[in-house]
Amino acid sequence: MSDLVLGISAYYHDSAAALVCDGRPVAAAQEERFTRRRHDSAFPARAVAYTLGEVGATLADVSAIAYYEDPALKFRRVLATYLGAVPFGLSSFRDTLPGWWTSKRRIVDVVRRELAGLDLGPVPEISHRRHHESHAASAFFVSPYESAAVLCIDGVGEWATTTIWHGQGTRLKPVVEIRFPHSLGLLYSAFTYFCGFKVDSGEYKLMGLAPYGEPRYADLIRERLIDIKPDGSFRLNMRYFEFLRGQVMTGRGFEKLFGGPRREPEAELTRREFDLAASVQLVTEEAVLKLARTARELTGESRLCMAGGVALNCVANGRIIADSIFDEIWVQPAAGDAGGALGAALAVAVDRGAGRAHVGTGRDGMSGSLLGPAYSDDQIAAYLTAGGIPHRRLEPAELTAEVAKAIAAGKVLGWFQGRMEFGPRALGARSILGDPRDPRTQSVMNLKIKFRESFRPFAPSVLADDAKDFFDLPQDSPYMLLVAPVAEAARLTVEPDSGRTGLDLLKVPRSVIPAVTHVDYSARVQTVRQRDNPPYHQLLLALKQETGSSVVVNTSFNVRGEPIVNTPHEAYTCFMRTNIDVLALGGFLLQKSDQPEWKEELDWRTEVPLD
Amino acid sequence: MRKALLTIAYVLLVIPAGLVARALRDPMRRSWSPSRQSYWQN
Repeated sequence: MSDLVLGISAYYHDSAAALVCDGRPVAAAQEERFTRRRHDSAFPARAVAYTLGEVGATLADVSAIAYYEDPALKFRRVLATYLGAVPFGLSSFRDTLPGWWTSKRRIVDVVRRELAGLDLGPVPEISHRRHHESHAASAFFVSPYESAAVLCIDGVGEWATTTIWHGQGTRLKPVVEIRFPHSLGLLYSAFTYFCGFKVDSGEYKLMGLAPYGEPRYADLIRERLIDIKPDGSFRLNMRYFEFLRGQVMTGRGFEKLFGGPRREPEAELTRREFDLAASVQLVTEEAVLKLARTARELTGESRLCMAGGVALNCVANGRIIADSIFDEIWVQPAAGDAGGALGAALAVAVDRGAGRAHVGTGRDGMSGSLLGPAYSDDQIAAYLTAGGIPHRRLEPAELTAEVAKAIAAGKVLGWFQGRMEFGPRALGARSILGDPRDPRTQSVMNLKIKFRESFRPFAPSVLADDAKDFFDLPQDSPYMLLVAPVAEAARLTVEPDSGRTGLDLLKVPRSVIPAVTHVDYSARVQTVRQRDNPPYHQLLLALKQETGSSVVVNTSFNVRGEPIVNTPHEAYTCFMRTNIDVLALGGFLLQKSDQPEWKEELDWRTEVPLD
Repeated sequence: MRKALLTIAYVLLVIPAGLVARALRDPMRRSWSPSRQSYWQN
C-alpha cells in the first residue's frame, strides 16, 4: 500500500498543497491558480482537492498531513517582536495580535477544521515542520544528489531567516542559522518597497531593474544597513527598517539615507531606482556568495541545494556557479513558501520511512515540476465545441511543426500542454512563446501581450544540448533559476553606449537573440531535456529545424497581475484579451484571425489588480 | 472598544515588559559587533 503524505502551506502568501507518495511528489499546486487571486494566502482548499483527485485518493487514503511551519514558535517570535519594538510598536500590536490570538497561533486546528469541511474523508494526523526545515527538505530530498550542502534564505518563517543544512541520504541535519530580524530577504523586500513595487511579489522586478543601474549606493548599504561578516553571517541595522514596528518596510531613515521619499507605485522610474536596485542586488550577491562558501566549508560537500524566496534570485544563483564555489547547484523550482508544502510533506514522508528512489538515476524527483492539473484532448475538444470556438485538430508532429513555423514567422504563441507547472516559473506547459531573434519581440510581448512594464526582460528556453552555443552555463538549468552570460560567440559588436542610460540601454541589440539578452548580456536560461517535458522538447527540436536555433522566448501564460492560466478556458480568455497570434491548446491549434470578436461587459484590465 | 483595550494592554503590559526585556537582553539582538567574527547561531 502506498504511503501518501499531504503537505500544506497557507496563511502568509502563496498557499499551496502538495501530495507525496512513498517519498515522490505526485501532485502539487498553488491555490492562486484555482482562485485566480495572485499569491492567494487563503487555505488551499482547491489545491488540496486537486492533489487528492489527481491520484484518485481521499483524505482517508492519506497517512499524514504536514503543515509547513511551527505556529507556536512563530507566535513566540511575534511576541518577542512586540517586546523588542516598544514603545513604537502599538499599530503593529493592535493590527496583528487579534489574528494571532484567535486563530494563527493554533493554525493546525484551523487547518484540521478546513480539511474536515472539504468532505473528503476523515482528517488524518496533522503535524508541523519548521519553516526552514520545510524549505531545506524541498531542496534536498528531491534533488538528484546523494549528499549535499543545503542553503535556505528567505524573509522569515518562525525565527530563522538563513540556514545551512547538511543532507546525506535521508538525513537532513541543521548546521547553523541566522535569526529574525536579520534577514537578507527582508533587506531585499525593503528596497522592493522603497522602489515602489509590492513586497513578496515585486522582488523579481527589482532584480530585473538592477542591470540598468550603477551600484553607487552599495557602500552606503554595507556601511549603514547590513554588517556582513567574512563567513556570510550578517545583521541588519534596525534603525533604518520599519518592519518591527508596523506594516511597512521602510520609513524616514531610508528616506534620509537615499535622498527622498519612496517611489510611488506606477510612478516613473528614475536613475535613483535603477541604482538602488543595482546596489542592493550587488550586496545581496556578495552575501549569498559568502554564505555559499561557508556552506561548503561547514559541510565539505561539492554540491549545493537551495530554497527559500531568495533562492529565486537567479542572478545570485548564477554567481555561485560563475565563481565555482560548488561543482553543481540545484534549486527547488518552488523555492518560495509554496514549496514549503512540498518540503513539509517530504520531511514527514522520510520520517515515515520513505526513500529517495530517484537518486542514482541522474534525475531529480520533481518530474520537471510538472505536478499540476492536465486537461485531456477530449476535455479541450468539449470546451472548444461547446463555445463554438474555431480550431483545427492536429497530430503532435503536425502541431509542433506549425507552431515552430509560426514562431519563426514572428508570431507570438500561447502554449498550453500537459500538466501545469508547480512554482512561479512557466516551464513550457503554460507559456507564451516568441522569436528571440527579433529585436522587437521584447517590447511587443511586454506592452501588447503581458501589459507590463517595458523594462522587464524575457527569458529563453533552449535545448540543453545547444545551451553552450548561446550561454556560458556549465550545468543544466531546468527550472529557469540560473542567470548566465550570453556566450561571446552569440554576442553582437555593439557601439559604446555613450549617452544611453536607463531603459534606453534596452534598445540596443546585443546578441543574435536580443529579445532574451538583458542590458548586461545576461539571460535567465531554461535548459530543456526530453525526459523533463517531451512536448516542449519536441517543439524546440522543430524550431531548430525551422530556424537553425532552438532558443525561444518563454514567458508565463498570463497578463500582468494575473496568476498563470490553469484551464483551457483561462488560456483561451488570455489569448483573446491580448495580441497573442496563435494558441496551441493540447492537440488543437487556434488562429486569432479565425476567432469571433471577443466581447466583455467590463474592462478586464480594471478587474485584474496590478502586481 | 477592542482598539482601546489593546492600546491599554500595550501601554500597561507590553511597554513595561519590553523595556525590562530590552534592559536584560535585546530580544531582537540588534547590535552590531565589530569584534565578533560571526553572527551565526547554532
